[in-house]
Amino acid sequence: MSAVAEKVDAFDITRRSNGLQRRRVTEKLVAGLGVVSAGLAVAILALVLGTVLFKGLSALDTDFFTQPRPLFGGEGGIADALVGSALIVGMCVVFAVPMAVLVAIYMAEYASPRVATFLRVVLDVLNGVPAIVVGIFVFGVLVVGHGQSALFGALALAILMLPMVARATQEVLEVIPRSLREASLALGVTKWKTTTSIVLPAAVGGILTGVVIAVARVAGETAPLLFTSSIAANQVSTDVFHALPTLPVAIFTFADSADPADQARGWAAALVLIVFVLVTNVLAKLLSRGRTGR
Amino acid sequence: MSTVDDTAAHGAGLAAAGLERRGLRLGDTLFRGVAVAAAAASTFLLGWIAFKVLDLAWPSIEHFGLSFVWTEAWDPVTEQFGALTFVYGTALTSLIALVIAVPVSIGIALFLTEIAPRRLAAPIATLVELLAAIPSVVLGLWGILVFGPWVAQHLEPFLQDHFGFLPIFSGSPSQAGILPAALVLTIMIVPITSAICRELFLRVPRDLTDGALALGSTRWEAIRGVTLTYAAPGIAAAVLLGLGRAFGEAIAVTQVIGGGNSINVSWFATGDTLASRIASQYQGATSQLQAGSILYLAAILMAISLVTNVAAQLIVRRFEKARRAA
Amino acid sequence: MKKALVAALGVAALVAIALVGGRAAAAPAAKTDTAITGTGSSFVFPLVSKWIPEVAKAYGINLTYSPTGSGAGIAGVTARTVDFGASDAPLSADQLAACKGCVVIPWALSATSIPYNVPGLSGRLRLDGPTLASIYLGKITSWNAPAIKKLNPRLDLPSLKITPVFRSDSSGTTYNFTEYLSSVSGEFKSKVGNNTSVNFPTGVGARGSSGVAGVVSKTEGALTYVDVAYSLTNHFTFAAVKNRAGGYALPGLRGIKQAVSKLPKKVTALSQLKIVDPPKGAGKQAYPISTFTYVIAPTNTKSAGDVRKLVYWAVTQGQKFGPPLFFEPLPVTVQAFAYREIKKIQGV
Repeated sequence: MSAVAEKVDAFDITRRSNGLQRRRVTEKLVAGLGVVSAGLAVAILALVLGTVLFKGLSALDTDFFTQPRPLFGGEGGIADALVGSALIVGMCVVFAVPMAVLVAIYMAEYASPRVATFLRVVLDVLNGVPAIVVGIFVFGVLVVGHGQSALFGALALAILMLPMVARATQEVLEVIPRSLREASLALGVTKWKTTTSIVLPAAVGGILTGVVIAVARVAGETAPLLFTSSIAANQVSTDVFHALPTLPVAIFTFADSADPADQARGWAAALVLIVFVLVTNVLAKLLSRGRTGR
Repeated sequence: MSTVDDTAAHGAGLAAAGLERRGLRLGDTLFRGVAVAAAAASTFLLGWIAFKVLDLAWPSIEHFGLSFVWTEAWDPVTEQFGALTFVYGTALTSLIALVIAVPVSIGIALFLTEIAPRRLAAPIATLVELLAAIPSVVLGLWGILVFGPWVAQHLEPFLQDHFGFLPIFSGSPSQAGILPAALVLTIMIVPITSAICRELFLRVPRDLTDGALALGSTRWEAIRGVTLTYAAPGIAAAVLLGLGRAFGEAIAVTQVIGGGNSINVSWFATGDTLASRIASQYQGATSQLQAGSILYLAAILMAISLVTNVAAQLIVRRFEKARRAA
Repeated sequence: MKKALVAALGVAALVAIALVGGRAAAAPAAKTDTAITGTGSSFVFPLVSKWIPEVAKAYGINLTYSPTGSGAGIAGVTARTVDFGASDAPLSADQLAACKGCVVIPWALSATSIPYNVPGLSGRLRLDGPTLASIYLGKITSWNAPAIKKLNPRLDLPSLKITPVFRSDSSGTTYNFTEYLSSVSGEFKSKVGNNTSVNFPTGVGARGSSGVAGVVSKTEGALTYVDVAYSLTNHFTFAAVKNRAGGYALPGLRGIKQAVSKLPKKVTALSQLKIVDPPKGAGKQAYPISTFTYVIAPTNTKSAGDVRKLVYWAVTQGQKFGPPLFFEPLPVTVQAFAYREIKKIQGV
């Protein structure tokens, strides 16, 4: 018995079979590649964020948050750009969200499957239009002859936000069970009341998540604002009928400068923008987790 | 639930009054009308954008015709314009970015779904998503001030020392050029494609992979034979979506590509892409023909984006149809 | 729970904005009635920056100016997206017609410097027109090329690659620089030409005067052409350029003053304001790449009256802010020409 056992033990298939050995090596290689890829991605993230943090922190002081952008060769901060960005993004949400929700409601509640598919394609194509083309569009239609303004900038950003929020809302609406609507209609509630009082409140969480994600995306957009709200006074202003300075365009301008003080301001402004984007992303995650109760 | 009860009672009360029925229908019609208007407006907006771009590009389309697309020229002095340099730049930077990004993205997705322990996978997935959240202007700032100089001082000399016999690595290292721009685009595409790939791999039915493993294949063979094959259309769609993103990126690219006017074999040389050229020159176009030519570039860009976008959607749709049929 | 979270964040954001806005508004910002917006030349931006608070004090005009390049200034005022444009390049006949009733008025005078980044040089670099043209044509690629060595026998030039940096946006400084190169090099004139935006056969492009200055500061071996105010503020060394009288001139006030010393006694047209490559008689220190810079004012818009006040102030009081930034005050003949043109801005 033991002699046979010994012979079996001696015949170790993994050692003798070259094919299996090669396959095991390939598997380890691929696993290694996977680890390296993930490591690379994390490393680059750490590199970019680390540089922004390290170089940006040194320029952060109270003056940075309370002084407007400097004129040539002067001192300053980004107070005017912060106020401008807040106003423009705020207006963008006001412009885009109601319309996006309405489009989504139409797609989910009223449209026939063919029309709904068509609208889905339209929204996806709209989503794929490069931001720079949207900027030129708003410039050609509105800015020419009237001048730049924060309103036009907000409209350009709203065009970018519309498909994002509409698709997110539509997906949320589709998840809401049919039985909810049917019960309401069976009880004699009109369709529009059903939609506004029953379906929408159930969808609010998801819509909010979609809006917050879209805000995070749109807050960092530069190209549309370059053409619609870039020639702005170096002072804090809330006049939305004129161009207002914005954080992304300020970073874009600081990046080109040869002045190290300007570059430092650029890093600090980038830090502020990244913190805002990260916080909004985390907020969106918390919202969605709260909704699904995970 | 109380909302339903209240509304139900209310509705029942109102339904009793026949007069109200007309009012309620009016509410329905109005609301439906508003929703239809919103949907119609969105469609109209898309059409308007396309129309306006073509309209503004018309002086150049009329003057140069279709040959603009394959003419290599950009001389405002002699008013000779052509898109080839920028089509080449867009294609080359996006392709380099894809070739690097796709394997890396699949690698990340595989790592997150197959290799990493569950507790590690979630935070790393979040970190990769955060990479997607970095605004392009911040990547451009980092590109000009940190990455570009690093590429010029370390990466390009390294490539030239070891692979300098290849014409693509000839010429002198420069911190602004095709290579830095392509690498910045890679950093932008990776999070998007890896997130989609990760979703795809998570959806592969476990029993298929388990079956392959039970038949004696290694983990990698199971992944290659089952997961990747199953997810192949989805990966193709992810690739196309990443490509669309790369085509349209103007800001980060224009900050690191150096604004070159001609086609160069070397990847170290400066160049320009469609989106980047539009961003840097549109506001300063001093003649009708130059402004029109820049809009012509925008029209070409829109056409390319549209094709990749629709292709991605078609693949996804056919994929879903096949999935539903199975 | 989530609604409370969102509401709290919203309130926090509003409070933050109110605090920032309030604190910043409390700082002395000119609260004025009229606001005019201009854009264009980054060349003149350092001087206009100095004018902004002064004009607010003098007339209560809230001036906003953004440097986007001369081309964008011309395009902006033509499309009436701004109240006035600024350009270092005069308008061509076509552009003037497209602008529909605009006047072009010289309002400042300075020079285009040639800063370079070559570490370890013991003295200032000397260049001449044909050498500069060859560099930008890509015919001279290294700092220790014989042509450069010949002009700088006392300097120990390294074998460093030359990176010529140019403006990728439509720029009046490009117009000025290419005008000079076209007049000293026939090859440059035929191959590249003279315009706000040209097809440079080699080199790296960057946006704005800031952009080219930025690239030079980060790239060893780079050189570029930029308004001397940018060179000064960024502590760049700029080259001495050979003029027709055989001297090596610097873009300082004396160099600019000698460059305009050969203007006609009465200036009647913009074409007489070409001062690149001045004749031998201008002087041994005449800097050959000097230029006027212009404001483009529409004569028939609502803001024309305010623009008229601004331009009048600029060509009179505004000139005294120039010298520290190497903007030479306008010669009397040019000022007289400016007055005559300003009269054409009637306003609605």
